[in-house]
Amino acid sequence: MINGIPLYWYLIVSAALFCIGLYGVLARKNAIAVIMCVELMLNAVNINLIAFWRYITPAAISGLSFAAFIFVVAAAEAAVGLALIISIYRNTRSVDPEKIDSMKL
Amino acid sequence: MTLQQILFIVISLVVLGSAFLVVTTRNLFHAALFLVVSFFGVAGFYVLLDAGFFAAAQVLVYIGAISILFIFAVMLTRDVITAQRGNSQWQAAAFVGAFLFLLMAILLGPFSITIRGHQFGNANWPFDMAGDAIKAAPSNFVGTMGSGLVSMDQYGVPFLLAGVLLLVAMVGAIWVARELRGREAEKAAAETAIDDADMDMNQPVQETLPLVDTNEAHESHDAAAVEKH
Repeated sequence: MINGIPLYWYLIVSAALFCIGLYGVLARKNAIAVIMCVELMLNAVNINLIAFWRYITPAAISGLSFAAFIFVVAAAEAAVGLALIISIYRNTRSVDPEKIDSMKL
Repeated sequence: MTLQQILFIVISLVVLGSAFLVVTTRNLFHAALFLVVSFFGVAGFYVLLDAGFFAAAQVLVYIGAISILFIFAVMLTRDVITAQRGNSQWQAAAFVGAFLFLLMAILLGPFSITIRGHQFGNANWPFDMAGDAIKAAPSNFVGTMGSGLVSMDQYGVPFLLAGVLLLVAMVGAIWVARELRGREAEKAAAETAIDDADMDMNQPVQETLPLVDTNEAHESHDAAAVEKH
C-alpha cells in the first residue's frame, strides 16, 4: 500500500511529530503532559523505524524488532513515570516540574 | 494523486493536528483524549506501511493501556491542574522545535537551499524511491519476526531483557506509588522530619515552610485514615 508515497513523506511527518513532542516536553507546565509528549516523540521514532523497514529492508526483521522494543520501553516508561508523578503529587501537592526541585544542590 | 497519497495526507493532518492540540490545549483531560486520536492516526500509518501487526499492537498497547494510564493520572491529580499553557521558557522551546524541524526537513527530503553559494540539503536523496524501486510487501513477516525474537542467534537476549525490564518497571511502579499506612507511614514521617531539621541547620534561608505544611497535612490525613480503620 505504499504506491506513490515517497519515503521522505514519512520522514518529514515523523520529524514534525518529534518536534511537536519536543516543544511540549520543554514548554508544558504539568509533568503528566510532559510524559504525554515523550510518548509522542517515541511514536515519531517508531514511524521512522517501520517506514525504513518497509522501504529499504522489507525482508529483514531488524527494524521491526527495534520498533517492538520501543513499544516495551514506552510502556515501562509511562508506568514508572506516572507512578513517580503520583508519588510526588502525594508528598508535595504539586505536579509542576519547575516546583519539584528538592533534589537541587 | 493516488488513493494512498490522499489517505497519507489525511492521516498526517489528523496526527499532527491532534499532536499540536496535545501540546497546546489548556485542559489536560482533553490533551489525553487528543493523544488517543494521535495514536490512532499513527496506527493508520502502520496500516499504510503494510505492518498490520504493529497497527494492532499500537491500538492495544498505546490506546488500550498507556492512554488509560494517562487518563487515570490526570484524574488523580485533578485539583492541581493549572490553567496555564506553557512555562516561562515556552518561546525558547518553540524556537528549538521549529529550528530542529527545519534542519531535519532539509536533511531528510530531496530539497536543497543555497545560502551564499553553499548548498545545504541533498536534491538527489539516496532513499527517494518511487515506481519500480518499491519493494514487494513481505508475506508473513510476523512469523519471521517472532522466530527472530525468540532465537538466541538473533534477538533472544534483548527479548528476555525486555521482559525483565517490564517486570522491573511494574514492580518499581507499584513500589513508588504505594500509599504508606500505619507504622510505615509514621517511620517515613519521622525520617522526613529529621531531613527537614538537617536542611534547616544547613540552609536557614531555604524556603522550608511549604514543605513543613504539606508534611503536617499528610500526617493529619494519615491519622484520619487510621481512625477510619
